[in-house]
Amino acid sequence: MIRDVSLTYDKTAVIENLSMALKPQELGCILGPSGCGKSTLLRAIAGFQALNSGEIWLDNRLLASTSQAMPPETRGVGMVFQDIALFPHLTVAENIEFGLTDWTDVSRRERVAELLQLIGLPGLEARYPHELSGGQQQRVALARAMAPKPNLLLLDEPFSGLDTELRGRLASEIRTILKSDGICSLMVTHDQREAFDFADRIAVIHDGHICQFDTPYNLYHEPSSPFVAHFVGPGEMVDAVIAGPRSVDSPLGILTNDADLEFPTGTPVKLFLRPDDLIHDDASDYHATLVGKHFRGAHHLYEVRLDNGVVLGCFAPSHHNHSIGEAIGVTLDVEHLVVFPTH
Amino acid sequence: MAIITKPATESRLRLPQPNGFLISTVIAALCVALPICVVISFLFVGESDAWSHLADTLLARYAWNSLLLSALVALGVVAIGVPAAWMISFYRFPGRDVFSWLLLLPLAYPAYILAYTYTGVLDYAGPVLTWMRAVGSPQWLMEPILNLKSLPGAALMLSLVLYPYVYLMARAAFLDQSANLMEAGFTLGQSRWSVFRRVVIPMARPAIAAGTLLALMETLADFGTVQFFGVQTFTTGIVRTYYGFGDAVGAAQLSSVLLGFVIVLVVFERLSRHRVRYYSDRLRKLNQASIHLTGSRARLVQVLCILPVCFGFLIPTALLIYWTAFFAELQSLWVLTLNSFMLAGGSSIIIVLVALMVAYANRLYPSQWLTQLTILVGLGYALPGVVVAIGVLIPFSTVDHWISARLEPFGVPPSLYLSGTVFALVFAYLVRFLAVANGNIFSGLSRIRPSLDQSGRLLGLSQTGVLKSIHVPLMRGSVLTAILVCFVDILKELPATIMLRPFNFDTLAVKTYELAGEERLIDAAAPSLLIVLVGLLPVIWLNRSVSKE
Repeated sequence: MIRDVSLTYDKTAVIENLSMALKPQELGCILGPSGCGKSTLLRAIAGFQALNSGEIWLDNRLLASTSQAMPPETRGVGMVFQDIALFPHLTVAENIEFGLTDWTDVSRRERVAELLQLIGLPGLEARYPHELSGGQQQRVALARAMAPKPNLLLLDEPFSGLDTELRGRLASEIRTILKSDGICSLMVTHDQREAFDFADRIAVIHDGHICQFDTPYNLYHEPSSPFVAHFVGPGEMVDAVIAGPRSVDSPLGILTNDADLEFPTGTPVKLFLRPDDLIHDDASDYHATLVGKHFRGAHHLYEVRLDNGVVLGCFAPSHHNHSIGEAIGVTLDVEHLVVFPTH
Repeated sequence: MAIITKPATESRLRLPQPNGFLISTVIAALCVALPICVVISFLFVGESDAWSHLADTLLARYAWNSLLLSALVALGVVAIGVPAAWMISFYRFPGRDVFSWLLLLPLAYPAYILAYTYTGVLDYAGPVLTWMRAVGSPQWLMEPILNLKSLPGAALMLSLVLYPYVYLMARAAFLDQSANLMEAGFTLGQSRWSVFRRVVIPMARPAIAAGTLLALMETLADFGTVQFFGVQTFTTGIVRTYYGFGDAVGAAQLSSVLLGFVIVLVVFERLSRHRVRYYSDRLRKLNQASIHLTGSRARLVQVLCILPVCFGFLIPTALLIYWTAFFAELQSLWVLTLNSFMLAGGSSIIIVLVALMVAYANRLYPSQWLTQLTILVGLGYALPGVVVAIGVLIPFSTVDHWISARLEPFGVPPSLYLSGTVFALVFAYLVRFLAVANGNIFSGLSRIRPSLDQSGRLLGLSQTGVLKSIHVPLMRGSVLTAILVCFVDILKELPATIMLRPFNFDTLAVKTYELAGEERLIDAAAPSLLIVLVGLLPVIWLNRSVSKE
């Protein structure tokens, strides 16, 4: 649990009065653009960074406050590093058992075997890190951090050194491993897809504050601010007016929400629309001009311009092949409306 | 127009056309190989009378002394170099940046000059012991000073000037380690001490070993210090066998034993370097993990850092300046300086030109056999000067005898045509120092993109034209550095110069050696000081290039 933590990096404040708490066995994620202070926060939890204010607690133990700080080695916090940081002079097995100094030989050997099984690399005990692929190295680094059974596992951009295809796969793989072990974890990343693949709940950080701490589904469908809306996936703002307790008058007709809206009728608002909200429908009354198209194989991502000049994304089935400049029918398919005040 | 490409197999089998660059590389390799082959070939000549005498009595002593000296120097350089590197890398304290380069300064000293200087100030009638007797110091305090001229004394002198090798390598290794590796150790529940012991030191071990092995190569090559201190090692033994007993075969056989020792060192050094490579190359460097020291602990670290600099540079330099300013006779100094500078300057330019050709040949025709030939050329640096000298003297004087015998019927008196000429000396320097120039030239050339060569050729330059108007201007820094480093090494080189110089041709190093031999240590100060001052130039350059990285 983090309470009112402020941090500075290179003399500039990067985190201000930030609070968040993870549940037992939860996989949390801190998502934010580069330089938002998320890595600094992780280093503060691990014990490599002093706090300017606030407190950090783990299982009712005070890890750090402004007046006192436990040294990193006694915190019971494990960490997987951005540059993997496997000890190059030790074998895979020696790396994994590095933190098991107090264990007996037998239990140490058992733990290494168990972890190698868990990360799907049995038989590689005697290899050296430079003999492994990037993905294998990252899994060994994970096993090494998990070996002493820490109470909290931190992952600092663990996939940033790997290629795109491997990233998504490894993120869900590691999620499975950590879930089966039941270890509470916190990952830091700037990649929204990695965060979605990995986390139970994601905290989006911007300008040193948490904008929203929620499940991936809610972040995507019910963003609490325009920043979160844009950061977790593509979409555009459209001018609209509140038409009733549950309805909005948009350029594409009156839309109805699944719950009451918190704006009085007649208020001008911004309506946030994602490409999957707008559907291509030849029978629709509303038409928009096709100004760009991206063939994605299974579907088209069209860019369409509405009469008021706003350009929106729109998914269309693969076989609906229109040409640029054509006016095509579009309709909105939204159950939950994302509405922000205009200013 | 049709573009015809030759089948790949054919071009792979075809050897490159003989050309100047290739031929000069082969010749350079043969030059370096000559003394090695000569020395080794004498192993199979059979035993001379002197050899059996040597083997019975002296060989064991030479080997034992050389080994003991090496062991002591290894201990010394590690004991000074590693803690120094440790303090500079892991602690932040006032003056740290200054200490980081001050610690390199002893590299400017050849060990023999340090030996002469300390002997001058510490001998029985010298100021230190005179003062100690005056204040009634106990005998046990004066005893070790009186016994400076001994094997441990020689080890101390060598350690004081050679520790910077270990310091440099260890510092680079410490700074190269990712901060994350240490932090990974902490998050795995390990204490600071445990992380140092299990991560930092093991990862720096290959670098420390490589630095120590370099220091040991210099130790085995040393002649001036051990000769002056009366320690009988291989180098003094070889010189004594050659001149004292007039036994070329015995000297060559001793040389080949010494060569065996050196080869072992070279092999280990290569292995260590290989391991250094995959231990480095990480993202976030250690710099920011430094521990701030203040107050008395900072003062302690400062004192520990300044100690080796004091004994390896500041004190001897102050003495040399003092002696030069008040006691030195400077008449002959100009001739000595001119001789030394012309010899060192001319030789280093020749060496760098050869290095350029070797490097360019490797670039033009990258191939297995050429690479191996270049590695052979690189071995020269490990060869002790004494071994090179013997390996050059024997074949050259054989040729001299042969020419003299042919000319005798015509009434020409026997003379030295090769040995005892400047040519022999330059040849020996080429053998010994080509590797030094090669290192600089190769790294300079590798930074120039091949596309520049290609555009040069497409714009009408010949191969030589590319070297002259593209490479040399672009790598001017590397070329000048190579010349400078060779120049200083030649200036310091003692045994090969003594053994190969023409009659009555004195250099600064030779004069220093002769004056010291006559116990005129104070008169030796002026040439010594010049050698040290010029020797500072590459140290300053080295520091700049290291700190740039």
